[in-house]
Amino acid sequence: MTMATLDRRSVLGLGGAMAAGVVLAPGVSLLAAPVERTEASGDRRWAMLIDLSRCTADCTACLSACRKENNVPLFGEPSRDVHWIRKVEIRDRDRRRPAVNLPVLCNHCEHPPCVHVCPTEASFVRKDGIVLVDEHRCIGCRYCMIACPYKARSLVYHETRRGLESNPGVPIRSKGVVEKCTFCVHRLDEGREPACVEACKAGGKSAMLFGDLNDPDSDIAKRVRSVATKTIRPDLGLKPRVHYQGL
Amino acid sequence: MVSYPFSFVRFWLFVLSLAAGLLWVVPPAALAEGGHAHGGRSHHPQLELPQGKECVKPVEWMRRNHMDFLKQSREMAVREGVRVRSDSLKNCATCHVSRAKFCDRCHAYTGVSPNCFECHHYPQ
Repeated sequence: MTMATLDRRSVLGLGGAMAAGVVLAPGVSLLAAPVERTEASGDRRWAMLIDLSRCTADCTACLSACRKENNVPLFGEPSRDVHWIRKVEIRDRDRRRPAVNLPVLCNHCEHPPCVHVCPTEASFVRKDGIVLVDEHRCIGCRYCMIACPYKARSLVYHETRRGLESNPGVPIRSKGVVEKCTFCVHRLDEGREPACVEACKAGGKSAMLFGDLNDPDSDIAKRVRSVATKTIRPDLGLKPRVHYQGL
Repeated sequence: MVSYPFSFVRFWLFVLSLAAGLLWVVPPAALAEGGHAHGGRSHHPQLELPQGKECVKPVEWMRRNHMDFLKQSREMAVREGVRVRSDSLKNCATCHVSRAKFCDRCHAYTGVSPNCFECHHYPQ
């Protein structure tokens, strides 16, 4: 019998190797395979915090990053250009306080009026609190554009074309639908941050902070708890999820 | 009541049946394409065979239901936030590498014009 000739040490060694194989095998498959299925979680509440003391008037890194990432068209007509995020200068009427420059994007309100008025249910709130437009359903009636107090939505007035510099991962839009900031939902589902936040970090400003408000350990939840933040037009009671520090 | 002479009716019936018979033998589509130039009477689109071994669903089922399947996975991705990599339109391109030689040929043959690709990019 060969087993009988094996000494105690080699039997233990063989057993250890088998146990290691069993433990390692699932890990090896995890390393190789890409994520097959991702699902938005209803426990999350995505939100953004913009520190205006770090945001300078001349910097437009977030704007161009958004345009590039989401194939946001520019038609060259100021009244009809599509903006997902834009910079607004606020001046005190009596000039007692210095002017502030703030990036304004869709606030992803908890009680969004745009969703309330949509006749086709194209505008909706996803489980994780992101307000989206299902452009397959949008009929371009523009009720939502009138309802939104932040002017966050734009209608695509003209045909758009895919160019060499277009991002293939994001669709372009057909003429006559309303669109707006999605918090880069396609990136969030891959576990990445929105393009504007990434560009702001890459530019060394780090004025934008993005995260899950429902997670008490996230950076944004800690900052919102510890620092005085404001939202735009809180009097409307829409509970926006884009917070500003130093407004 | 107006009565036509019997021979007049019979003449036109004869002409009509002759025309119908001719159309049956040589259909207008074949006439338009210049007769039997392609050999045989089959006008099915010549589709490029996929590169992979197996589709995500049985082939027969896919032929009949791919449009509903894609619409369903679209609804799930957009509205519910459930993205399944193998069910996405992007994944089709891993086997059906040419949209023009696969999707478009059959869509042209069946006379449908889905507008997916007006906005969505199909990797070539």
